Amino acid sequence: MKKVIAASLAASLSFTAVADNAFKAPLVKKSLLLDVAATDYAVIVGERGHILLSSDGNTFEQATVPTQSTLTATTIVGDEVWAVGHDAVILYSSDRGKSWVIQNFEPDLQRPFLDVHFFDSEHGIAVGAYGLFYRTKDGGQNWSAERHASLLAPIDLEYLESVREESEEFYQQELNSILPHINRVTFDDGTLYLAGEAGLLAHSDDKGQSWQRYDVDYTGSFFDIKPLDEEAVLAVGLRGNMFVMRNNDNWEFVNTCSTSTLNSILVASDSRVVSLGNNGMLVSATRPLPVSEVDPYANPLDCTPAEGVSKRQVEDKAALVNAAQFNGQTIAVSASGIKTLNLEKE
Amino acid sequence: MTEVIERLIFSQRKLVVFLFVLATVFLGYQASNMRLDAGFEKNIPLNHEYMQTYMQYREDFGGANSILVSVCDKDGNIFNQNFFDTLKNVHDQLFFINGVDRSLVVSLFSPSTRFTEIVEGGFAGGPVIPADFNSANPDALDLVAANIEKANIVGRQVSNDYSCAMVTAQLLEIDPETGEPLDTLALAGELEKQLRDKYESDQISIHIIGFAKMIGDVADGAKDVLFFFAIAIAITAIMVYFFSRSIMLTVLPLLCSLIAVIWQLGLLTTLGFGMDPMSILVPFLVFAIGVSHGVQMINAVEKQAVSGMGAKKASMVAFRRLLVPGGIALLSDTVGFMTLLVIDIGIIRELAITASMGVAVIILTNLFLLPVLMSFLKLDRDYVKKFEGKESHTSKFWSLIAACSNKGPATVILIVTGVLFVFGFIQSQQMKIGDLHAGAPALHESSRYNQDTFLITDKYEVTVDYISVLVETTPEACTSHSVMKAIDDFQWKMRNVQGVQSAVSLASVAKTVNAGYNEGNVKWQVLPRNQQTLVQAIARVPTSSGLLNGNCSVMPVILFMQDHKAETISRVVDAVKDYRTEYETDDLKFSLASGPVGVMAATNEAVKAAQTPMMAYVFGAVIALCLISFRSLRATLVVVVPLYVVSVLAQALMTLLEIGLTVSTLPVIALGVGIGVDYGIYILSTKSLMLKKGATVQEAYMAALKERGSAVLFTGITLAIGVSTWVFSSLKFQMDMGILLTFMFLVNMLGAIIVLPALSRFLWWRRSE
Repeated sequence: MKKVIAASLAASLSFTAVADNAFKAPLVKKSLLLDVAATDYAVIVGERGHILLSSDGNTFEQATVPTQSTLTATTIVGDEVWAVGHDAVILYSSDRGKSWVIQNFEPDLQRPFLDVHFFDSEHGIAVGAYGLFYRTKDGGQNWSAERHASLLAPIDLEYLESVREESEEFYQQELNSILPHINRVTFDDGTLYLAGEAGLLAHSDDKGQSWQRYDVDYTGSFFDIKPLDEEAVLAVGLRGNMFVMRNNDNWEFVNTCSTSTLNSILVASDSRVVSLGNNGMLVSATRPLPVSEVDPYANPLDCTPAEGVSKRQVEDKAALVNAAQFNGQTIAVSASGIKTLNLEKE
Repeated sequence: MTEVIERLIFSQRKLVVFLFVLATVFLGYQASNMRLDAGFEKNIPLNHEYMQTYMQYREDFGGANSILVSVCDKDGNIFNQNFFDTLKNVHDQLFFINGVDRSLVVSLFSPSTRFTEIVEGGFAGGPVIPADFNSANPDALDLVAANIEKANIVGRQVSNDYSCAMVTAQLLEIDPETGEPLDTLALAGELEKQLRDKYESDQISIHIIGFAKMIGDVADGAKDVLFFFAIAIAITAIMVYFFSRSIMLTVLPLLCSLIAVIWQLGLLTTLGFGMDPMSILVPFLVFAIGVSHGVQMINAVEKQAVSGMGAKKASMVAFRRLLVPGGIALLSDTVGFMTLLVIDIGIIRELAITASMGVAVIILTNLFLLPVLMSFLKLDRDYVKKFEGKESHTSKFWSLIAACSNKGPATVILIVTGVLFVFGFIQSQQMKIGDLHAGAPALHESSRYNQDTFLITDKYEVTVDYISVLVETTPEACTSHSVMKAIDDFQWKMRNVQGVQSAVSLASVAKTVNAGYNEGNVKWQVLPRNQQTLVQAIARVPTSSGLLNGNCSVMPVILFMQDHKAETISRVVDAVKDYRTEYETDDLKFSLASGPVGVMAATNEAVKAAQTPMMAYVFGAVIALCLISFRSLRATLVVVVPLYVVSVLAQALMTLLEIGLTVSTLPVIALGVGIGVDYGIYILSTKSLMLKKGATVQEAYMAALKERGSAVLFTGITLAIGVSTWVFSSLKFQMDMGILLTFMFLVNMLGAIIVLPALSRFLWWRRSE
């Protein structure tokens, strides 16, 4: 019932929103853009429901979109595209991003989706703030909410179990507000990896039905997690922190000497990985990644980065959010719009 | 009537001279206390809609009168001991200059310049320059460098390339020490003396911009203006000597014209006005108009003297003949200039008073005093001899010009005039309002001030060129998501208008703060729908940021512009107006405007609106006085039509020279009419007398040329040569005015001696041969 109301609300709102968002802003390419996905075409999403499309990586066209909510993530499966964002909005396009419909819109939830992933054109998940976790089995026509208590830190879990003994209703209420933000999900070779708030790194072997939390000696947030090869998984996050896990062993610290939060990982080549962050930071590391014993909370002023790790900032120092290889170029999205990165410099 | 006055004056000649001497001594003393005086607000149309908004919220958000001081390191890197020591000195020094609003001096060294960073446990922050900062310690400099980045002030307080840092200040309108309006020129002098002279060195350069500095530089250039006045006066003197062939007849008209200037300046001071640097040309115009009438007077005296009268008799006849036409010409100037009073901009009103008073006193000095003084001269046989033979050979010249009244030449002249008029009219329609170029238009592009402007515009993202649109809504509205979203949407639309370089508002800052509360994750850079979260974000923005008032019922959206060219301003203002017709409600108003560009927008609109009425009033005065004195529609037409054509051509010239219509250039066209009207009236007064006696147009015109023509021709050329030297002035404003005035002196003269007779040929059709 609630879904029906939400959907009809979405439909009525979308009508006015379409009219509003007919504004094709000259500066849209320089606006706050938050995610890029690319196959043989590229889709970029960002603030105010902006969606940009490109077939060559040089020219970008603004699509007409039935929402003004800020979009935080997008994913492509064949000709189909999904985009998610604030107000729990989920948008769908069946024609490579040219036209869009609203699949979900719940502003009263006051929670944004922060990432989206589709395993195929039918099965997908959208994740976000306070453990927000929606799943679809029919290409997004129906979305159902899930709560994964297994993402909690052991101490929180313990607390919740004690609550549950008192009342199931109170347990659900507490679970709803205690779950950490899920910042990123990455699917690779049957394993779904997850990075989130307050030291949360986890993996799932059943497409996110059940989760195993990793034990990491860091309480800051992680913003991306990505397997580099069969041996190593890399995670990056708050204040330039970078951790690597080899052969499912412990997570080890990689000293970058950057205090800028790292938002995304881009595998530049077999021998190198680049991480993008706030203040226009680009941290480049040679593979295999060098680890060190340094304390992640140490004073950043006297710091020597691990061997093979270097950093530089893009000229305008705008926060770099994500990047994708497309048409022989590296296209990054940032707080000041689209940037073509030259990774040869790293 | 005239005869009564004549008898009265010439019977008491010594008393008249004595009274004039007395008045001149008194007003001369007053004039010696004359000072240059510039104020920000008198350049503003205070009753314009935008300026009402500006005045209403000036207390909350600061005025538009700001000063930017950029301190630059010549090696291109600010992180060294010498630079930070100098920057601190500049900050402290600016803080203590009288007239600076001390609560609004901002630089790296002000305690309000803080940084915030996100750490695992939440926020960490502090002043960008810590309390224990020691510029000698390289580590301390490194720390400041890191803090600057965290504080997100690059492009505003530190230049994009880290070669300069900025100290900004707002100026008060009232001097806190004296309670009087702030002496802007003294402040400009202090800026130069206390900042640039003290702290500019081989390593450090200091760049200062803002209205106060600009007007100060103009005032400095105004000293040059006096030098050029002197040149113009000297050239006039030499020319008058060749014309009059007598030292005394050269000295007297110039002396009387200078007395007019002294009286004007003295009266101004007595009435409590100062001279604005932008009005500094008016005394010269008074002198020029005085010379024009003075030359007519010596010409008339000479004509009478040559015909055998003594000096006294000749002077009396000249007085009698010239009092009416001279009086009408000067009176119509006076009335015309006075009508400028209806334009609601302080500086134009001042100009109206300055100019009309100046012209009015010429009636006394050049129509009364001058003939009385000349009556004391001895115009003996030697003098008369010099002019023998002149009449006969000039007659040939005059009959050549008189041919303008013949049908053939007259037709050609009118056709050419008509074509010029059409061309001029089309051009004048394209005349731009406001400043057409970046920087200060009164100064040359190569001037220090404009170079400093270019440097600051180039190295920083913000300049003094910004306009604030005030979003007026209900109290506590900043806690409403829908209001904040409306502000944010408006800002985004305006940001996309061509010419807007960047924009900031409470909404955009709240979004950034919200991202900050979410670990600096830009995916959270949105306006939270949750009211508590929104309040949490806004609570971090103090009212001193200038982005909200005490109860956040008014929130400005500040648009930084690429430049302040008139078309850029009107594009942005139009965009705001378009937007608000669509989105404005009773509870959400987008009010124009504050900020320096907001002031310019209001001024441009006021100037544009004043242009047509001003011309109507000035011409109205001339037409009315001509009708009264000549009692002939035709006579009025032949005087006014050439004048109008010339004023249209002058506007066309402004378009071609890319001189925009501003508060300082607007009155020039009105003044041009004042210059031109003399010629026509002098020629026509003789001519209409002859026509009334039954002469043909050709005869009447020939007579007018013989009697008055040489004086008209001579005056036009002399004054044109004098002002043409202004092209070499160090003030761009004076150079522009020099070109315009040269044009007006010459072309008005041509209008009076060529177009006027040609027009008469057709208006008095039956009286023509």
